[in-house]
Amino acid sequence: MDLVTYKNDVWGREVILGVSWDLLWVVIVAAFVIIAVHAVVVGNRKQKPRPSSEGKRIERHDGKDRIFHWVMAGSVIVLLITGIFPIVGIEFSWLTLHWAAGLVLTASVLFHIVRSLFWQDRSSMSIHPTDLRETVDASRKPGKYSIEQKGMHLAVTVLVLLVIGSGLVMFAMIDTPWWERTNALSEATLGWVFLVHGLSTLALIGVISLHIYFALRPEKLFYTRSMIKGWISEDELKAHHDPEKWPEDSA
Amino acid sequence: MPSYDVMPDVPLFQPAEIGDALNLVEQFGKGGWVLGGGQDTYGWLKDRAKQPTALIDLNGIEALHGIRQTDDGLEIGATTTLREIIANPLIKRDYELLASAASRVASPQIRNVGTLGGNVGQDARCWYYRRGLACYRAGGNLCYADSPQGMNREHALFDASRCVAVSPSDTATALVALQATMIARSVNGRREIAAEDFFVGPATHITNMTSLEPDEILTAVRIPSHWAGSRFYFEKVADRDVWDFALVSIAVVMTMDGDTITNSRFVCGGVACTPYRLHDVENAARGRTLSDESGDALAALASQGAKPLNYNHFKIPLMENLVRRAMRG
Repeated sequence: MDLVTYKNDVWGREVILGVSWDLLWVVIVAAFVIIAVHAVVVGNRKQKPRPSSEGKRIERHDGKDRIFHWVMAGSVIVLLITGIFPIVGIEFSWLTLHWAAGLVLTASVLFHIVRSLFWQDRSSMSIHPTDLRETVDASRKPGKYSIEQKGMHLAVTVLVLLVIGSGLVMFAMIDTPWWERTNALSEATLGWVFLVHGLSTLALIGVISLHIYFALRPEKLFYTRSMIKGWISEDELKAHHDPEKWPEDSA
Repeated sequence: MPSYDVMPDVPLFQPAEIGDALNLVEQFGKGGWVLGGGQDTYGWLKDRAKQPTALIDLNGIEALHGIRQTDDGLEIGATTTLREIIANPLIKRDYELLASAASRVASPQIRNVGTLGGNVGQDARCWYYRRGLACYRAGGNLCYADSPQGMNREHALFDASRCVAVSPSDTATALVALQATMIARSVNGRREIAAEDFFVGPATHITNMTSLEPDEILTAVRIPSHWAGSRFYFEKVADRDVWDFALVSIAVVMTMDGDTITNSRFVCGGVACTPYRLHDVENAARGRTLSDESGDALAALASQGAKPLNYNHFKIPLMENLVRRAMRG
């Protein structure tokens, strides 16, 4: 199986065409296997009693951040449907929907970048070497975000920035209400752009599959609730986080 | 690109029954190449720009051939030749538009062997694509014809989406105007597709010009009696009178109440990747009489929304003038 596809350009030179979409099935199967193995392993473990969702509520996500999250999620889903369905043979007029959703994603990411630079506690999401101890020491609790959540955020950040960057270059190659298509890039450069867009899309499919799986796991559902309603309970905070590292006034 | 004097070594199947042909198409999938008159096929194969794994020749299947009257019009088998369509008295009497369009396809020799199915199913004639370059239509990531240096005199004014190739079929415009239905069959059954939906643009399916699936065969075209005996107009403008594709063509059907147009369909070829309906012209034509004044009024509507490329601005006045000529009394 090829990772990359090639073609001959107009001068007969071999240049990159893009990613090999055979990899889509590899990613889907790999994500399915990881999820299945995790579900079996965790299912066989003795379950800890779940903390109560009653009692004092601690704000975890501000309303603006929750709106950002769901706008981003919606736009990514539309992008994946409009980008991948035609590749697997479900044909429809996808291009306008695709770039429109891409612009929504770009705008929401810009909003998040500005907000995180000036209004949010960036240190709560940055990965420190000491965070790695959480993975081997169960008694060590994280601050606002666990190392897994920080890793997921980092992966999504890198992949979304790659997919947006390459997507914007491709956007310049088509007609829009604001400009006419140019086709100004060389075939070799365009091939690299398509390759980056395709690879980051494939990686995003894997990462998002895991994200959705963990968001729906029973013991993690309180995080999903907090992304909808904004809060977790004090019991949930104490059970999964170290209140010393996540003081209430920084929530 | 190398050029060859001989055809490649491809297995040729010549089924005598439609069921066998459908099984072969199912068996070979995208690698199977359905063969009608071969006038689109042989160029591809000789240039090695397409390399099918099998040729499935439909010409020996009796059921796919001929022109039959039905309860509601006419059914034309997909392997009926263009010459037979031109000469058929029923078509000449009731659907002369199709005979006119077929008579303008390529050359007499090609019309003698070219089939209706092949003419409507033929691939784009963009020379970058036909040369075998990996453009969008060939599964690549750019359009050579739409590059700053691209030669796009013959290309699209409307509905381009990355690819700017146009529909090359002369009979397609007539069939859309006549509200024909395309009959497609596969081992899974039969599908009826309105001619207008049969031809697909690059926004929906950039590597295919029709909505036929790889396991389907176009078996027949049905023309309803709705427009039989109506007023027809077909004109094709090309660089040469024979053996050339349309720069712009127009197929028009009109029902009249005395001198007044009560209903009409105007369809242009050579301006979009599919036969292009002129809806605004049709709406504005209703209630008008055939005259130079009406032609002038409608002509301006024909090209609304056109997005000319570097070298095909001339198609705009060409379209407008064809509408004017169709509206002459």
